[in-house]
Amino acid sequence: MAKYLLFFGFFIALQSCSDDSDKPEPQPNISNPQFYIFERNGESSVDFSGQTTRILMAEELVSASKNFNSSESGLLEMYRNESVSGGDVDPFQDADLNASTKSIRSKVAASNDLFSSNSSESLEIKDFMESLFFQLEVEIYPNENQIAAPGQAGQLADGSSTRYVSPAGLEYDQLLNKSLIGALMVDQVLNNYLSPEVLDQNSNREDNSNKVLSDGKNHTQMEHFWDEAYGYLYGTSANSANPNASIGEDDNFLNKYIGRVDSDEDFVGIAHRIFEAFKLGRAAILANDYKLRDEQIAILRSEISNVIAIRAVHYMQQGKKALPADRNNYSAYGSAFHDLSEGYGFLYSLRFTRNADGEVLFSREEVDNLISKLLSDGSNGFWDVKTETLDEISESISSKFNFTLAQAAE
Amino acid sequence: MKRGVLIILIPMLFACSEDESPDTQNDNFDRQSMLVNWADNIIIPSYKAYENSLIALQSAKNEFIANPNISSFSELRIKWEEAYLNWQKVSMFQIGMAEQITLRDFTNIYPCDKEEIEMAIVSGNYNLELPSSRDMQGFPALDYLLYGMAESENELLQKLSQTAYSNYLSELVERLLFLSQSVIDNWEGDYHDQFVENLGSDAGSSVNKMVNDYMFYYEKVLRAGKIGIPAGVFSSTSRSDLVEAPYRGDLSKALCLSALNASINFFHGRHYNSNEEGESLKSYLDYLSTVSETQSLSLSIANQFDLSKEKIEGLNADFALQIQTDNAAMLEAYDELQNNVVLMKVDMFQAMNIRVDYVDADGD
Repeated sequence: MAKYLLFFGFFIALQSCSDDSDKPEPQPNISNPQFYIFERNGESSVDFSGQTTRILMAEELVSASKNFNSSESGLLEMYRNESVSGGDVDPFQDADLNASTKSIRSKVAASNDLFSSNSSESLEIKDFMESLFFQLEVEIYPNENQIAAPGQAGQLADGSSTRYVSPAGLEYDQLLNKSLIGALMVDQVLNNYLSPEVLDQNSNREDNSNKVLSDGKNHTQMEHFWDEAYGYLYGTSANSANPNASIGEDDNFLNKYIGRVDSDEDFVGIAHRIFEAFKLGRAAILANDYKLRDEQIAILRSEISNVIAIRAVHYMQQGKKALPADRNNYSAYGSAFHDLSEGYGFLYSLRFTRNADGEVLFSREEVDNLISKLLSDGSNGFWDVKTETLDEISESISSKFNFTLAQAAE
Repeated sequence: MKRGVLIILIPMLFACSEDESPDTQNDNFDRQSMLVNWADNIIIPSYKAYENSLIALQSAKNEFIANPNISSFSELRIKWEEAYLNWQKVSMFQIGMAEQITLRDFTNIYPCDKEEIEMAIVSGNYNLELPSSRDMQGFPALDYLLYGMAESENELLQKLSQTAYSNYLSELVERLLFLSQSVIDNWEGDYHDQFVENLGSDAGSSVNKMVNDYMFYYEKVLRAGKIGIPAGVFSSTSRSDLVEAPYRGDLSKALCLSALNASINFFHGRHYNSNEEGESLKSYLDYLSTVSETQSLSLSIANQFDLSKEKIEGLNADFALQIQTDNAAMLEAYDELQNNVVLMKVDMFQAMNIRVDYVDADGD
């Protein structure tokens, strides 16, 4: 025991050398380490391998969606990690992913708080992803060598990149990628693993207070739930104990966009606050301080939801800026459509956000209305979108948060 | 009369805006003379010279296809080189039709995709109008055909004599010419007057657009594309494979210098192929009496251009060799070019009250 105290004392000493401004209030009886390192019996008690697996599956799925040799059925197999008839399949490049019994689909819109008694919406969201595979197969892949125009799927230049869009100008691989950030990562983190209802379910709180470990594991169930939330952000980090060293570079999902938002001078520090809240919350669980734990949950709800909302507004505004001055110059829409497609995915992801008090910020209907608004300025979707519409959507998002449209725009 | 009203209106508009930027908008610099000088004495003559060199390339190509031999092949290569050097003098003018058809992207995206090129030639199945075909055409693809797709000159000649290859060669040349002509037709049509009459100082005005295009070109295409990226400024290791005209080898410095000279001449307002100068960014800065530290900003920029040029002239004719043997010299050249990004993109833009209209791409 004395050894541990010494160990933690060392970390506290290290901490006092760092910048004071963001330092959490000193917590009596809480050993808040410098890195996300928690050990018991000389071994790590942190485990989020399941989250790493799902992030990697999602990476392969998004990457495959951009491949013109892919098919709807192949993408479905990756999404479900089983055949259409429920059989075993090996859809991934990475053998470890094929060996896994996990799937992306099973955790899409699958949180306790939002979907445990809302299976119809859960199914709708799971199926939305699958509908994208169908649309990729019928709209995008056969039109690889067409030049896109209103009502015509095909390719557009975006700088030196080439984008492949639907007849309405939508890049389905971007919709898939960015919608998963909300429907998989944010939903699991905020509405499931960081839900007090989940953390405290069954005898979790009592077991945690008495440090009763899960069968054959080195962690309590509550510790593990907390780590699983952590894993959806940092599960593929170069150093997952100190993930901010490479924040933004470790996946194409939540990690990436925390990095992006943090690199905006208006929001710098957000990555630090998120990591610190995770770390202090985990330390609080170790110390049985549930009030402190819940304070960290409030920070995480607010900051992670901010990331989604800031990017949604950002892409609406970037898309607006990139629309060509000559709206009849169809070859000049590539940058705008790329931004708006990313923005579409972040709008979709707003459904899974909540504020510090835990209130859900966007109902299904509100999100559907925003998306419908984005596509309804004319009969050809993005080709007809008006700049005023993009501003209205942006404002209806930013008005629910503590940032301004202008801060998110650049 | 109309202009009188405009001049009164502009200061009123500006009174409502933020105070931070210097109030130079109501300067009386003759922006139109500058636009006329740019269009009539620089841009259009440069495009014409470029077009002429493509017509010469077209003839050499036709001659080669009719009589493929060492002499016609060598002539073809010479005409390619001349056209490529002339391209560097118009690449920065991505405005009007050139902007609309993204001329630069269809003319000079490198490195080219040699696998795709070989596949296209063998299958005969390709469409050069597609954005995804941009790295299969233009000067970089010709570089591959004329210098890269076989070991020896004889083998190249033999391969290019085959119909599938000569057809592709022909299409590449014809397309370059077609694109350049559509830009010239536009300048000789309505666009000239549109350009010189689009005064004012909003983001869409000709001066603001042209200065932004010039800056974008200098920063991204010249500084980064020709020097910084191959020298490894933006990556963990140097990338000598990313130099311009890699198959020809010893042309990358000449191409870079042609581009830099064109940038310098534009800054000074020098007429095409002449030392005569007209209204320019330099004379505009002098009119505004912008001072940087102790000397005029225009002199600082001009001197910095000279320093950059000196550094680049000292490099190996083949940048790839330079990078492999002494990359530090490449990095020094990059640093000198970078110094002018600061002087122009910050100080000059501020003096002229022009906002940067491009951002660094998101990268995803």
